[in-house]
Parts: sequence; C-alpha cells; structure tokens
Amino acid sequence: MASTVKYTESEIIVAHAAKEIKDGDIVVIGQGIPMAAGVLAKATHAPNCVILTEAGLVDIRPFRNPLHIADPTCTRGYTYSCDMIDVFATIVNRGLVDVTFLGVGQMDRYGNMNSTVFGDYDDFRMRMMGAGGAPEFFGYARKAVLTMRGGKFVERVDYVSSPGYLEGYGARERAGFPPGSGPKVVYSSRGVFRFDEESGEIYLYGVFPGHTVEEIRKEVPWDLRVADEVVELPPPTREEVELIREFAPEISAGRRLQLELSIPRIMEIISGKGR
Amino acid sequence: MLEKYMEKDKRMTAREAVERFVSDGDSLVIANCLYSTPYALLHEIIRQGKKNLTVFQQGGIDELDQLILGGCVKTLAMAYNFRVAGERIQTVLERALRRGELEIEDYSNYTLLTMLQAGAMGYPFLPVMSGIRETDVYRVERAFKGQKFGEVTCPFTGEKVVVVKGRNPDVAVLHVQRADKFGNAQLWGAMINSKWACLASHRVIVSCEQVVDEETILRSPHLTVVPGFRVCAVVEEPWGAHPSELLGFYDYDMAFRSLFFMQTMSEEGARAWMEEWVYGVADRREYLQHYVERFGLRFLQELRAKPYTSIPADYGATGRGAWDENEVSFNFQMTRAEFLRALEEKGGFVDGVDG
Repeated sequence: MASTVKYTESEIIVAHAAKEIKDGDIVVIGQGIPMAAGVLAKATHAPNCVILTEAGLVDIRPFRNPLHIADPTCTRGYTYSCDMIDVFATIVNRGLVDVTFLGVGQMDRYGNMNSTVFGDYDDFRMRMMGAGGAPEFFGYARKAVLTMRGGKFVERVDYVSSPGYLEGYGARERAGFPPGSGPKVVYSSRGVFRFDEESGEIYLYGVFPGHTVEEIRKEVPWDLRVADEVVELPPPTREEVELIREFAPEISAGRRLQLELSIPRIMEIISGKGR
Repeated sequence: MLEKYMEKDKRMTAREAVERFVSDGDSLVIANCLYSTPYALLHEIIRQGKKNLTVFQQGGIDELDQLILGGCVKTLAMAYNFRVAGERIQTVLERALRRGELEIEDYSNYTLLTMLQAGAMGYPFLPVMSGIRETDVYRVERAFKGQKFGEVTCPFTGEKVVVVKGRNPDVAVLHVQRADKFGNAQLWGAMINSKWACLASHRVIVSCEQVVDEETILRSPHLTVVPGFRVCAVVEEPWGAHPSELLGFYDYDMAFRSLFFMQTMSEEGARAWMEEWVYGVADRREYLQHYVERFGLRFLQELRAKPYTSIPADYGATGRGAWDENEVSFNFQMTRAEFLRALEEKGGFVDGVDG
C-alpha cells in the first residue's frame, strides 16, 4: 500500500547515506548529518557495524545525535577506550576503516576537498574549521561518503585539505593511496553524485524527489557529467524518518530551524529565570 | 633535560600554578580538547596576561578564541577549531589573523599530535601517513616554515616517508576527574590528545574536580593518564572544565557556549564577554558564583551527571608475601629462623659495622 511520507532535506540525506554502511563495517564518523546516518544504519540494517570517532572512542552507541565527536552521548557504553594516535595509527593506517563519513565545505570535480579556507590562504574570505581528521580518513579509508549541506562545488578548491582523486586518471593510486580507496559518493540536498572509476571525475547519479538534473547542473560550475540513466531516488521510509526524529531531531530540523527552536531556552537562561 | 617533579604535595591555586609555571613566550598545549577542556587554567593564563604563547591546538570549540581575545597567542599550530557562523560573520580567529596578530600553521589532527607523540618519546621525528603530501596541509607553510614536514628514506624498504618534527611544549594544561596531591592524574572518557600532550611537555599543570587520597590512585592505576613525577602543580577546581563536559560530573553547557558565540560575533561583544567571565572574576569560584547570580543555580544543576559507573577492576592476587602468618616461606618451605641459619652458613656473610 503506497502512503505518503513527509520528510525534510536532511532526513532524506541521512536515510540514503545510512545505506552506504554495510553490516560489519568499521566506520569513522564526524559530527552532524554523518553521525545521524551512522546511528540510523546501526539501528536498522547494520547492527554489527563498529562506529568510532577520532577522539579515541571505539564502538560507540550514541543514544542521541552527539553535539561533537567526544560528547557524553558517545561515551555511554563503548568497547574500546583509546586515543587519537591509536585511532589513526593502529586503525586508519592499517586499512581497517571501511567507510568514513564526512561533511563537505568545498569540492572539485575529482573529489578533492577543502575544509580549511575559502579564498586566498592569507587574504581569505573565510576560515572553516580546519583539516581535522579528514586528510587521513579521506586518504586511507576504503571509501569516503560525503554529505554536503551548505557546501559548494568549485572548479578548483582554494586549499586541498583532503585528497580525492587528485588530477584524476589514476593519480591517486600513483601517489600511493590504498588501491580502490577514495571518495565514492556525495549526498547533497538535491541529489547523489558518484565518481567515474577510470577518470575519478564526479557525475550525477541520482536525484531526490522534487529536484531535476537541470537544477543541479546549474549549481556546478563545470559541465557536470550525468549518468546515462539518472536514478530517481525514493523518499525515506516512514520508519527511517521516525528513527531519525527519535535520536536526532536537531538533524531533522536542519541548522536554521534548530537554531530558531533553541533560542527560547537560551533566552530563558540568559534572562536569569533559573535564579 | 627533562625535569622530574618529586615534591610530595603539589596542591596550589590556579593563580599560583600559572604564576610559577607559565611564562611569556612559552609554548602551550591544551591537553584535552572538545571534552574536559581546562577552562579554569586557561582563564587564569588570560587573567595573568601571558603573552606571545605558541599554542598547539588539537581541536577546540571556543577556548582558542578566548586565548586570542586575551592577547596571549603569537603562534598557532592548529588542526581544527569550531565555528558556528557562515561567511558573513567574522570569527575571533579570523579577525586576529586579518589584523596580523598571530601566525598560523595548519595541520591535520594526526600530524599535529604525532609531533607531540615524537616529543613525548624523545625522538627527533616520527613518520606520519605519507598521503598528507598530496594536500595543502603539507604544501602550505607559514609559522613553522622549513620545520613543518620532512621526508626520509626508509633504510629497510627505500620508501620515501613523510615525517614530522618531535616537539616539546613548555607547558601542558589538563583537567581531569581526580588526582592525588603528588599529581597522579586520572582521566576517563574521550582521551583524545591528553596523554601525548602531557608527556611531550616540560611542565604539566593539572586541575581536577577532586584531590583524592593515594589509595584511590593505587587501586585504579589504569586510569592515570600522566604520572605524578611529570606533574608540577595540582589545582583542585570543581567545575574546572565548564562549559565543556566531564564524565561523572557534568554535561556540556550548550546555552552558555551559544552566548559566547553570539557575543563574540562583534569585537565589542567579545570584549564584554571576556570582561564578564574572565577579567571580572578572580578565580573559578567567583566565576561559578557569577554564573549562579546571573542565570540561577537551576541551570548549573541541570548539567549535573547521573551515575553510570564502571565495574571495578579486581586487582586481587593471592596476596602472599615473603613470609606467611606462621613465618614460613612459601618458596623455600622453611621458617624464618631456618632461613637465617642457612644465610649464616652459606650466605657468604661479610662483617660490617652498623651505622
């Protein structure tokens, strides 16, 4: 029986991105939408995946979407307490990470990513949060899954924080990264992109309901390649949407609404109501 | 030369610890980030107007902004620093960089911390994952120009390996759940960079929620993140990591942080925030008093952690000593008197003069 489901932009990204995790995968996740996707995967089709964060927290089971990768929702029951060196050297560097989930600031056609600075390095337009763990996760995980909300595709990234397929056509493997590794898929609020195996160039793989190829093309500053048959991606299921709202209502709301809804409590505190 | 700190009782106030162990021009590492950030110690560093610090910043939320607003930072080696606002808003870090107040060097989390790991181990350098060479993290150099990354040839395989320099900051500041007065500091939860940041540094200042007796440490050594002989000061500072979180004590204070980010969007707002929460209070106790006066006790109490205790690790063994309760040795199967006779006969005694 077909029935309709109402969902937000973030929810459809989370629902589809979650499917990139297979049961038994070892998954490194950053804060925000990526974490929501990881938790959804673990709650549904991938109960045996191991979610870890670079804070040294391995096999976490967050009961709500964490504010950051070391917050108390990440540390209520986890199986291995180590530190950041242990995560990078003994897990990432040993090729044990199946999937890394990261958000995108700026990305070029070969999946090279910038999370450091917009504009000139010294005379910047904006400083983002910095490279963080992304260069090594991007470099050494078997696959990188990217989510893009508010991020941008650009002809050239202003700063390469994390290596994609470099200049394409095998450059990544020649540079010594693990064979087969690299960014595999990008989820934006309008559609899904994948990367051509030979050239490493990104192409439009599918569109979310209500969006069109033309609309997406306009947002990409080069002549975007498009799959011969663009997949029309289904909306999230009712169960997925309910699960996301259960543990990550902030993610469902998206950044702007989340802020708007948080203001009353902040104002209550600031006004000294607790005195 | 690495100094040992063998004083039996290192308890002191934050003010005394910072006066004695932090100097202008020092390099400083914040020895945990995101979780259990040592705000009480950092605020004291700012209040004392320490200048020209080189700061190793693993991944921060607002503590780096505060050090910058305090005019403490000259050089910054950084992997990650949180920002809330989009392009229209200038962050504290951006404003300081535009004014040329500080020099920056961008690292990834791993390459930054490996410098400290190498320093902690006393090595001149350590390898990192060489793929970093394909990024601008490797190519763009500023504050550490010529000293940022290097390359060596592996003597065994001939492979070219990217390395980072071992670094030993002058001071590490750390906040933990508990420590004894000698400085054995116990931290649990997200360990992030704390171990390497502390062990790399010449001086470690520890603040803790509680100073505990030695017995507590002796029975749970697996929780000790830095040994007392490396610690130069112990500061008992309840709520010392507020507004970050500390397991067993409190959650992060999201509203308080929102206030910081809202206010620091402008230079005047930032100055007002610093005046109110750092310069306007003498110490952490006054900071908490001010919090309660301004917002009410309720909001502080809402952050309090509920227990979720670990199962005790049983360090038990037979407990058998050299001599049992009957003065018999388990290994020699003889009494102490018999043993002394054997020692007399066969022990190769040398005559000495007692004292």
